[in-house]
Amino acid sequence: MLKMAFYGKGGIGKSTTVSNLAAVFAEQGLRVMQIGCDPKADSTVNLHGGTRIQTVLDLVRDKNDNFSLDEMMHIGYRGIACVEAGGPVPGLGCAGRGIIAALEKLQKKGAYESYRPDIVLYDVLGDVVCGGFSMPMHKGYADKVFILTSGENMSIHAAANIAMAVDHFRARGYATLGGFILNRRDVPNEDAKVEELADDFHSRIIGRIPRSRVIQEAEPLYQTVIQAFPESDAAACYRTLAKSILATFQEETC
Amino acid sequence: MKQTASILSVYAADTSGACSALYELGGMSVIHDASGCNSTYTTHDEPRWYHQDSMVFLTGLTEADAILGNDEKLVGDLVQTAMELRPRFIALCGSPVPMMVGTDYDALAIEVRLKTGIPCFGIHSDGMHSYLHGASQAFLHVCEEFCETSVPRNQNTCNILGLTPLDFSTNGSVQKLRNILERNGFRVIAPLGMDCTLEEVSQMGSASVNLVVSHAGLATAQWFQERFGIPWVAGVPVGTEFSRQVLMSMQSSAQTGKCAVPCAETRHDAAQDAPLVVGEAIFAGSLAAALETETGAPVRILCPLEHDASLLRKTDSTTEDEDEIAALFTTATGVVADPLYRPVCPATVPFHPLPHEAYSGRCYRHLIPDLIGTPIAPLLAAKENVECFVLTK
Repeated sequence: MLKMAFYGKGGIGKSTTVSNLAAVFAEQGLRVMQIGCDPKADSTVNLHGGTRIQTVLDLVRDKNDNFSLDEMMHIGYRGIACVEAGGPVPGLGCAGRGIIAALEKLQKKGAYESYRPDIVLYDVLGDVVCGGFSMPMHKGYADKVFILTSGENMSIHAAANIAMAVDHFRARGYATLGGFILNRRDVPNEDAKVEELADDFHSRIIGRIPRSRVIQEAEPLYQTVIQAFPESDAAACYRTLAKSILATFQEETC
Repeated sequence: MKQTASILSVYAADTSGACSALYELGGMSVIHDASGCNSTYTTHDEPRWYHQDSMVFLTGLTEADAILGNDEKLVGDLVQTAMELRPRFIALCGSPVPMMVGTDYDALAIEVRLKTGIPCFGIHSDGMHSYLHGASQAFLHVCEEFCETSVPRNQNTCNILGLTPLDFSTNGSVQKLRNILERNGFRVIAPLGMDCTLEEVSQMGSASVNLVVSHAGLATAQWFQERFGIPWVAGVPVGTEFSRQVLMSMQSSAQTGKCAVPCAETRHDAAQDAPLVVGEAIFAGSLAAALETETGAPVRILCPLEHDASLLRKTDSTTEDEDEIAALFTTATGVVADPLYRPVCPATVPFHPLPHEAYSGRCYRHLIPDLIGTPIAPLLAAKENVECFVLTK
């Protein structure tokens, strides 16, 4: 079972990228689970036709602990198991603690043992703002962290913060940094800026996603590019990225 | 009002359970908390506190430390203290605030272990579970850490699993338990939790059978079964006839390798109006079994604590809800429970007080009877000899 977490500045395209990767892995015949770790609960929306699915914290709110694993997982495109952690009432409670509670519930209900996914993708909200949002990096959850960024300064700043957190937690046996994913915004010197960032953390860019109208056109269809435009250049790009990600796991075992 | 107790007390929390389980083993138990968890433990839940030394500390977590995620200060304090005191191990126990901010005790334990060379483990306590939850984790960690793996099996030997004063107080019942086992041919290798050393723990894998005397010992018993093939028997040898049944189960399990649960298996399903025993699953089940053998009538139990379904009969109850407990009491022909349950027991239902340290702490400690190997039926005949809190309008 390969477990990976995706971080990056809000709005950088994590959910779009993660859903497309999930779709690529699924079309390769792998069993895939995508877990949205964002109170907005919209990580997996393009994997099940835009329908709103019940989140783990909705279930906790309604049923305390009296719910089954099947109620937490919703099967979407090509059998992908979609889970949304959900969050508290906006403006109240603690979103970070919510992520912890949701991930603990998944583990307690035996999600990994029962569904036996080959690939688990954690799509995590924005920056590592507190202990809750570092939970997917903890031992027993993701093995590798991938950071999405563009060449925009704010995005690079957020990516550096996340990379520092990963580095800081190294002694604890947490997830290691798998690499950076450049999601282009076509700003000047974009590649050079992100390459410099990767060098600073002794890492590298493992994939470059071009700015593409196809990606934007798939969104209103509530589909991934892989599903809506499987022959497009963007789809080919996601397939290449998926291959690079799997290669980072193989490098470690070699 | 569901999940609200306006009259009843609550059981000792998981932090107390963890510290209690580890108290005598020469380790350092550290509760990661501002304050409160430690004084509750030492004042109410730990009868050994005033006459037996143990290294139990509090981290003094501040609001700023919690908000800022100041784990480095915690690790530094743990390392410095451990290097000065050289404990045999370090247990880092959680509490509500660290739980809320997602403190990763296991990761911190790895850091401390690396820096000190002293075995260190995290206890996932959060103050929201009972003492059994904390004690269970603590016992398992100690065994995983210190049990030698290549010890030869010894015939007619046993360990006692699940012992803390929270269930057995300090009234001599542990020594009596040990005596009754040894009189019946079982040498006790380790009474884990009370009157036990780490050297004894290291030899626990050589036992021919484990006696589980509370739910706090069940996970450890299952670990010994998986790791060493040692079968376990769940029951406390209370009463005369039931004690004999527990000892027979131990002899049988030691020979066949099969586990047994005499605290549930020797009982029969009871009618709704049967007498009710309230408490921890194995202890209460053993009392009920002893009462049944002595009176001939089945007895129900109410276990409002963490439990395993295999330890109970299907006619037993597990509710924690105050209203549901009060309703259960109205249908019983008698209730055996801690005196602090008395206020929800109707005056028409005979109430037989049996103080439980994990429930009423030190309040009735001097009245906790030693029931090991002694007849239980007189409990039901006893008059209410304990002053109970009674609600007045």
